[in-house]
Amino acid sequence: MSASLAPECNVLKERYDSCFLKWYSEKYLRGNATQDECAPLFNAYKACLSKALKERGIDQMVDEARMDNKDNDAQYMKPAGG
Amino acid sequence: MVKFYSTDYSYDYPFSAVTLAYFLRYPNPYSRHVASTDTISRSFNPETQRLTTVRLHLKRSRLPPAVVKLLPKSAVGTTNPDGSTQSFILERSVVDVKEGWMETESRNLDWNNVLSVIERQTYRRPPASGDKESTDVTVSVRLKSRIGEQIRKRRQRWGEQASAASVTGGEAEEGAAKQGWFSTWSTGAIRSAIEAISLQRTEKSQPKAQLGMSVVLARLRNGGLEAVLAGMEQDREVKL
Repeated sequence: MSASLAPECNVLKERYDSCFLKWYSEKYLRGNATQDECAPLFNAYKACLSKALKERGIDQMVDEARMDNKDNDAQYMKPAGG
Repeated sequence: MVKFYSTDYSYDYPFSAVTLAYFLRYPNPYSRHVASTDTISRSFNPETQRLTTVRLHLKRSRLPPAVVKLLPKSAVGTTNPDGSTQSFILERSVVDVKEGWMETESRNLDWNNVLSVIERQTYRRPPASGDKESTDVTVSVRLKSRIGEQIRKRRQRWGEQASAASVTGGEAEEGAAKQGWFSTWSTGAIRSAIEAISLQRTEKSQPKAQLGMSVVLARLRNGGLEAVLAGMEQDREVKL
C-alpha cells in the first residue's frame, strides 16, 4: 500500500485502504453498493490525517485548493454523455 | 502564455480494472518519486452511484537546472542546492460505474507562483461493442507560469521603495540583483522558457505514467488485488 505522509497515520490508513479496495472491487464496481461501508474506518484515519496536516502547516494550502476545485463541480456533475 | 499537452490512447483492460488501477497506481516501478498518497475525502452517492475522491500526493522532484537559473533566489528558497524539492499534488476524481466513465483532475499546490500544472484525464468504457476489454483514455495537461505576475508586483514595490532611505542592505542587494537579472530577460520570455521546459518534461513523464498504470494492470490481471499489493511492497523496498 502507498504510505501516508504522516507515518503515525499509516496503520489507520492501511486499515481504511484495505476496506475501501474490498468494497470498491466487490461491491461498487459490480453495481451492488448501497452505502460506503468503510466510512467509520475513514473517519478514524481522517482524524489522524487532519491533525497531521495541521501540525505540518499544510492544512490551509489544501483547503484553499479544494475551494478552487469546487468551482469545477458543476462540470463534473454533468453526465459524461459523448 | 499557456502551454497544453494532450494525448489519447487506450488500455487493453476493462474499465473497472482501469479505475481500480488508478487508485492503486502508487507506488509502481515508474513512480519512485511519489513519497506518499493520502485520501482527504471520499463520498459515495447511492442514487447516482458516483464516487468522488480527493487525494493528496507528495512528490519528490528536481527542478531542471535550466529552470533554477531562471528563477530569482527568493523563489528557489525552499529548494536544495541540487534543485531537489518536494511538492504536493491534489487529485480529485469522480467515477460513474453505471455510465462507464472516470474523470480526474490533478494540480500542484505549491510552486504555483512559478508554474501551475493542471492535468485532466478521462477514462471511458467504449460505447456498447462486444469488446469490453478496453478503456479509452484522454489526457490533457495545462501549463502556466505566473512568475511574471509575482515579479511585476515586486517590481512595483521596489519602485515605491527606491527613494526610501530605510531599505535594508540585504533587501537592496536582492533587489539590485533581480533588476540586473531582469535587464536581460523580459518576464514574458522567462514565462515562456519555464513553460517550454515544463512541456518537455511532461512529454517525457506522461509515457512513464502510462507504463506505471500498465504494470499495475498486469499485476491485477495476473494475481488480483493481492498481486498488486505484493508488488507495491517490492517497489517500496527497492525505493528504500
